Amino acid sequence: MTARWLTVLLTADALVVTPLAVEARPTSQSSISATDLLDRIHNSGDVAWSGFVESSGALQVPDSESFANLAQLLGERNELRVWWRNARDWRVDRIRSTGETDLFRRGDTSIRWVFESETATISPVSQVRLPDASDLLPPTLGRSVLQGARDNELVRLPARRVAGVDAPGLRLTPTERAATVGHVDLWADPDTGLPLRVELYGLADQRPVVTTSLLELDLDRPAAETTEFTPSERTTVNYEDSVDVAAAANAFAPYDLPLSLGSLASRDGEDPDAVGVYGRGPTRLIALPLRDRVAEPLREQLQASTTAEETIVGTVAMVGPVGLLLTYHNGRGYFLLAGTVTAETLERAATDLLEVE
Amino acid sequence: MIGVELVKMVRRPRTWVIIGMLVALPTLVAVLLAVTDLGPRPGTGPPFLSAVLSDGTLFPLAALGVVLPLFLPIAVSVLGGDAIAGETQSGTLRYLLARPVGRTHLLLAKLVTVVAFVVIAVLVVAAVSYVEGRLLLGQSPATGTVSLSGSTLTQEQLAGRTTLALGYVIVSMLGVAAVALFFSTLTTSSIGAALGTIGLLITSTVLLGLDAAEALHPFLPTRYWLSFVDLFRDPILWRDVVRGLGVQLGYLLVFSLAAWASFTTKDIDD
Repeated sequence: MTARWLTVLLTADALVVTPLAVEARPTSQSSISATDLLDRIHNSGDVAWSGFVESSGALQVPDSESFANLAQLLGERNELRVWWRNARDWRVDRIRSTGETDLFRRGDTSIRWVFESETATISPVSQVRLPDASDLLPPTLGRSVLQGARDNELVRLPARRVAGVDAPGLRLTPTERAATVGHVDLWADPDTGLPLRVELYGLADQRPVVTTSLLELDLDRPAAETTEFTPSERTTVNYEDSVDVAAAANAFAPYDLPLSLGSLASRDGEDPDAVGVYGRGPTRLIALPLRDRVAEPLREQLQASTTAEETIVGTVAMVGPVGLLLTYHNGRGYFLLAGTVTAETLERAATDLLEVE
Repeated sequence: MIGVELVKMVRRPRTWVIIGMLVALPTLVAVLLAVTDLGPRPGTGPPFLSAVLSDGTLFPLAALGVVLPLFLPIAVSVLGGDAIAGETQSGTLRYLLARPVGRTHLLLAKLVTVVAFVVIAVLVVAAVSYVEGRLLLGQSPATGTVSLSGSTLTQEQLAGRTTLALGYVIVSMLGVAAVALFFSTLTTSSIGAALGTIGLLITSTVLLGLDAAEALHPFLPTRYWLSFVDLFRDPILWRDVVRGLGVQLGYLLVFSLAAWASFTTKDIDD
């Protein structure tokens, strides 16, 4: 009797313990310095790769049709399949048990495919737009949060095995007073510098509010046909002038935003049009004009938040490290200011903005 | 012995009543969709159900998505739970073993019978729903079916992938069959064995919704059941399909061994 049950136990043990043991084997540590690793990460933009990414977010940002999938991307678990040939030729599939939503980028054209509605939306690529699934990938998010990072903000973290790679780690702790991100932990491929896992923490958080990690990685260049979208005869193809509400506002709204807002300089030093992105690394702020029909339901959602506050310039609410401020009507329209900055910074930025406009 | 058990299973009215109930739910869904022309909102409801209104050839897959999470595992639990416990309950187990039949052989025959039931049930559900899809829902487009990734699947590709999906669903029930058989060797109550199996599946489903149990997720029996959907992406996403097969074969192996260890050392009093 004992021998038979022992066979059962040993079989179960082998099936459960073997994969865990393989996963738990020690990682090889790297002696690369924080600044060298930072340089490799900055230079990894042209690395071709494909893989499977899992991201999870705990940010309950307001849900609105105008903001596309932003609430799902930042507040839920997402599974993404990726084929990345270069920064202008890639495909990201957000998969679900009921279908998938795919983003294709080919040169200056962006295509968004939604299975459930069998629609493909073709639009021009815009430098100014809302975050989409491609911004949640560890390589893109990793490079983005490290943009403008200073040496005194960086320390090395021990290596960690990510997607089968022993990846050296890096911690970025922003020094700006405006920052609401406590720190960002990141692990990258030591050879290519490709970020493989990113964890973003709020100021007082013990757990990351956003995590994105590669679970499978292939560094061979994906075949060209994998990033090509060929609609079937049944597909409804729509053509849009802008990829989202921010791109549309930037192209058509009659505003010219200043070079800095709330002491934060414009990203990359570029002079913004109607939509501005300010700050560096994980301390970012976006200011965009909103139409009345978008702004009023958004204000109701903000006011429903427990952190909502009415200020002189507008309604402000904090969603974890993300601050949102919707200005009052200034005679011409509304502005939404959103980003990983403090409420005080948002108010100062709104004051600057309304004075200019 | 296996032949005898298979014939017994096929001749039992209970088998066909259960299969009839499995077919009834997708049939009701097909009729409702055809009458109202109202599918679930995008991103909600079972897989493929939002697409069948325009392409009825996908209805067998939608039907499997409807019965797989609840009805099919309950049916397998009932049959698997009854395999040994039912014989004990009715007092026939002693007579079965009085024949020159080893306990291991009898156990194997019971397991094969439950698996055969799964194969028949899945094929009947797929066949009936295919006919219903063609008759009641959207006609298959001449250009082919649209994959989840927006590419076009030819009829041959669709048939090949559907066959793979049916095979995957059958394998997904192997673990349930083995667990039910194991519980069946522990008790003299068929209902008790079936409820034990269903309890395990409910526990698995609850834990899947719990972030705190994330480390357990890859080992849960229900984790990869709906991964047959990944066979209709382009290119096919094998990741969860392979993991699902591994998990089910793991449960099949461990619980079949446990059933063997339990049954071959059990005192047969009744």
